[in-house]
Amino acid sequence: MEKIKFKLNGKDEIFEGDLSSRLLDVLRDDFRLTGVKCGCKEGECGACAVLIDKKLVNSCMVAMGAIDGSEIISIEGFKETERFKVLDRAFAELSAVQCGFCTPGMVLAAEALLSENPHPTEEEVRIGISGNLCRCTGYNAIVNAILKASKEGNGLW
Amino acid sequence: MVGSFIPKNKKEALDLKAKYTELIPYSGGTDLMVENRKNPSYLFLGKLNELKGIKKTDGKIEIGAETTFTEALESPIIPQMMKDALILIAAPAIRNTGTFAGNIGNGSAKADSALIEYGLDAVITVESVRGERNIPIEDFYLGRKHIDLNEDEIITKITIPDIHPDFYSYEKVGGRKALAISRIAFLGILEMESDKIKSISVSFGAVSEKIIRYKDVEKMLIGLTKEEAKAKKDEFVKAYEDRMQLTEGRVSADYRKKVTIKLLKEFLKNGGI
Ligand SMILES: Cc1cc2nc3c(=O)[nH]c(=O)nc-3n(C[C@H](O)[C@H](O)[C@H](O)COP(=O)(O)OP(=O)(O)OC[C@H]3O[C@@H](n4cnc5c(N)ncnc54)[C@H](O)[C@@H]3O)c2cc1C
Ligand code: FES
Ligand code: FES
Repeated sequence: MEKIKFKLNGKDEIFEGDLSSRLLDVLRDDFRLTGVKCGCKEGECGACAVLIDKKLVNSCMVAMGAIDGSEIISIEGFKETERFKVLDRAFAELSAVQCGFCTPGMVLAAEALLSENPHPTEEEVRIGISGNLCRCTGYNAIVNAILKASKEGNGLW
Repeated sequence: MVGSFIPKNKKEALDLKAKYTELIPYSGGTDLMVENRKNPSYLFLGKLNELKGIKKTDGKIEIGAETTFTEALESPIIPQMMKDALILIAAPAIRNTGTFAGNIGNGSAKADSALIEYGLDAVITVESVRGERNIPIEDFYLGRKHIDLNEDEIITKITIPDIHPDFYSYEKVGGRKALAISRIAFLGILEMESDKIKSISVSFGAVSEKIIRYKDVEKMLIGLTKEEAKAKKDEFVKAYEDRMQLTEGRVSADYRKKVTIKLLKEFLKNGGI
């Protein structure tokens, strides 16, 4: 069995298990990163999203063999950043969180969007989170929170 | 089960595929991981730089099989009609990993990039240790979920012409705005040479077991002026109506037929025919 090396939330890791294992399961079960949520395992909900080499990816659609040499950031790692604090505050102030199940994916989708486009329009925000489902908020609060973070985090992205 | 492999280069990938033909080529995984096969043995190709990237070479555009949709959307070389289709595929997270090879790799007639490739007469390059084959896309698709790919081969490249048509129309009808799989997709391309029609290309995706394109019907309008083509328009549209056998799916065959014909008529009208 081949070994793979990758970086997870800034730390070097080695994986020696079955390369066809799902990244989502490995993150949750082996690394106990339960901020990565499992909603569908079909790429439909975005609750399992992480950043792979700075790009938003659904971890349920990735087999371990595909991440050799990659850098993975989950919500647990992103939580340590200044950008997270700005997003966290905006989400809280605008009540963009209800049950919270979609929130880790939404926050990482926001980070992926803002790092490419620090001042998105409302439409661009909606496209940025179009792969993330939320059963609770009706999306408007989330969109507004991301727009607010983009304004308040001026210079961070 | 032989287990999965991460080849370091194309040669190693081809050697492995020749030795273990049961290896499943894995590009972005966005189709494979949903299929959720039991104990699969994957051949991971997504990071092979030799199979990535977009190049322009004398009148042609070569797209490496492992190029992701996001990479193509960022490329200045990819034609706008292809970008029109790519931007409507799923959502960012899926465009970040989904690839051109994976889109045609299971022979689906719903594949959105494949429709553009059909309309543009793309050539699919497949390779094995025995050498390379270049296959016109209409021959590459053999039937429902069935492609011309031998068990030791992998898809390595897709080549499209670098054309700048006078007019084209791309339409995707899905069930919703994001994450919508095509229920009907349409591409019409019109190229003129002075005042005559040089080529007309009409393709329909997701409505049948294969993408539909009737080159013999297209010939009916080639060489005509737009005025002359107008006179033949009803006959042209009828040829499609008569010939198309559409599949019943989430939407009825009848509805599909109505919408496809409407899209065809709109394309002709907006193109001045
Ligand atoms: C939620 C969701 C929404 C989607 N929306 C769309 C949409 O709007 N439009 C659309 O067209 N598709 C859509 N898809 C399907 C999918 O994302 C695309 O087909 C994508 O292009 C697949 O590429 P991949 O690299 O992820 O393929 P993979 O999953 O890696 O592979 C797909 C198939 O191709 C084969 N294959 C891969 N690479 C090669 C190769 N180099 N040589 C030979 N065979 C190969 C694999 O063995 C497999 O059979 C959607 C999927 C999901 C989950
Ligand atoms: S669990 Fe991955 S997209 Fe839903
Ligand atoms: S807050 Fe409950 S799913 Fe979004």
